[in-house]
Amino acid sequence: MGFSWDFLFHGFATAFSLQNLLWALVGCFIGTLVGVLPGIGPASGIAILLPMTTVLPPTSAIIMMAAIYYGAMYGGSTTAIVVNIPGEASSVPTCIDGYEMAKQGRAGPALAISAISSFFAGTLGLVGLTFFAPLLANFAVVFGPPEYFALMFMALTLIISLSGRALLKGVISMALGLMTSLIGQDPLTGATRLTFGSPKLLAGIDFISVIVGLFAISEVMINVEQRITTISQKIGNWMPTWADIKQCLGTMLRCTGVGFFLGLLPGVTPSVTTFVAYDLEKRVSKHPERFGHGAIEGVAAPEGANNATSTAGFVPLFSFGLPTAPSMAVLLGGLMMYGLQPGPMLFKQNPEFVWAVIASMYIGNVMLLVLNLPLVGMWAKICVIPFYILGPLIVFFSVLGTYSIRFLAFDVWMMLIFGVIGYFMRKLGFPVAPMVLATVIAQMMETSLGQSLLISQGSPLIFFTRPISAVFMALAILSIGRGIWIQVRSKAPEVAIDEPD
Amino acid sequence: MKTLRPVDIAVGCFLALLGLFILYASSMIRVGVARALSPRTIPSAIGFLILFCGIGLAVKSWRFRGEDPKINWPDREGIRIILVSLIILAFYIVLINPLGLPLGTFLYVTFSIWYLKRSKWVTAIVIGLIFGIVSYYVFIRLLGLSFPEGFLFEG
Repeated sequence: MGFSWDFLFHGFATAFSLQNLLWALVGCFIGTLVGVLPGIGPASGIAILLPMTTVLPPTSAIIMMAAIYYGAMYGGSTTAIVVNIPGEASSVPTCIDGYEMAKQGRAGPALAISAISSFFAGTLGLVGLTFFAPLLANFAVVFGPPEYFALMFMALTLIISLSGRALLKGVISMALGLMTSLIGQDPLTGATRLTFGSPKLLAGIDFISVIVGLFAISEVMINVEQRITTISQKIGNWMPTWADIKQCLGTMLRCTGVGFFLGLLPGVTPSVTTFVAYDLEKRVSKHPERFGHGAIEGVAAPEGANNATSTAGFVPLFSFGLPTAPSMAVLLGGLMMYGLQPGPMLFKQNPEFVWAVIASMYIGNVMLLVLNLPLVGMWAKICVIPFYILGPLIVFFSVLGTYSIRFLAFDVWMMLIFGVIGYFMRKLGFPVAPMVLATVIAQMMETSLGQSLLISQGSPLIFFTRPISAVFMALAILSIGRGIWIQVRSKAPEVAIDEPD
Repeated sequence: MKTLRPVDIAVGCFLALLGLFILYASSMIRVGVARALSPRTIPSAIGFLILFCGIGLAVKSWRFRGEDPKINWPDREGIRIILVSLIILAFYIVLINPLGLPLGTFLYVTFSIWYLKRSKWVTAIVIGLIFGIVSYYVFIRLLGLSFPEGFLFEG
């Protein structure tokens, strides 16, 4: 299962065939479209197109589906930046600074840096996938439930930095997010919780409804109330300056590392790594106060981490047949549909297939950059559409996105309710990001906690006796301690970081 | 309540009550076979967290003696626009199933644009029509998503 230059060159030769290039291009285009359209995530995009690929040879079909996947990761930032709709949980950190940049007339540079960072991190991630896949996949195997729980716990403590001075309000926001995700059935026992006898609440509240409500609907309410005519009055330069790019170089490197290494772990989706990368960038920045007010690194970090994580997800998929995210599970289904069994034997039995797909991903990344950069101007123009037209269209896409989760009007009602909650949270200085993060990772966290306690026969010491989980727990405790220290010293009122100072 | 302090005290009290309510609701969860992690454990922990944070917020705000930040509430016209926009959205959600996505979208987009910019009836109808048609051909026909088609397109 080792690396061989011969295999890689053969892979490039296959990927450069006219047919495979064409399908990679089609996949990149559809993927970008899937990313831009709110509500249609890469998983549903691939699933919808899966039956249509049966007419293609297996390699071309998987090349196209992989291109849809990472194309969607490129396109996902567009709506987050220009209209504050994070179509996926992973785009939430991009909204924080990306939308601020759009309001300042810098949607173009935000979109461009998002594409450049995605390309940079995606390509570096591919180098990792190419050379270190077997080694890194072995590392992923040592992650058990205690390590996952500790990692998620650490991710939750990030709210301390996402909340700025409003630590208490950040914790409340996180607690409300956890409460929202508890509604429904217990993932381990199936016991019903906080449903109050309502059958509609049995299946729980989907986090997409929460996210779209908190961000998109509340944003529309605020813009409508203030009689905003356009999101931005002007479009400045479409491209970032060299200074912008230089400023983001270190960010791109760091977020690639974070996104790639965490992305190797099953269950660690881009929705977690983008928050971790954003937080890291804010911590290492010389001017952390710019974050939340249109810092370009605040766009580069999550977008790079998003693509690095997506690329890293192919390591456990190819090496162990282990899907790390819903879209990976659909891709796994696609591989199996073609009689390919992912796992250690895939590299031995079908090397020409694996290396062709890997090689095509290098080509796909270049295609996406070439496709996306010229379109930056077009997407940025959305910001100058009059709001009396744009507002209803944002709501239309939000309704489409939430309705398409389970095709239930209930999810759309939830979106509306969380839109109103988000509106009041913004007015009263409650940060919304902790609520979103908590909603997204709560169930994974609870499942890992239950499994860990089962292993340790109920002893919580398991999180401190295993080295990797102990490191994560120590970092989480340090983070909490730092937050409490800042809170005790602060005499200021509770105001969220995204409020104007 | 035009400034943050009294609102924070009220919100803190509300959250404390919510925490108590969650604690009560958690105690009603049926526990089957004994497990390392009971289905009541996490909801109860969250209930306590909300209760203590609510009390903390109320107390911290009550003790706060500095300059109280103003809340940027909307004016009367702003409140009216928000309420009407939310009512139109609620109608959209109610009408999606009986009328179908294309017709519901047409009505929603048309009325919203007209309401937000009174003098643009023609623009509103044209954009409403475009999005009604797009919702049908792109999302229902092309992508095959199971949105309700409504009586106009069924059969």
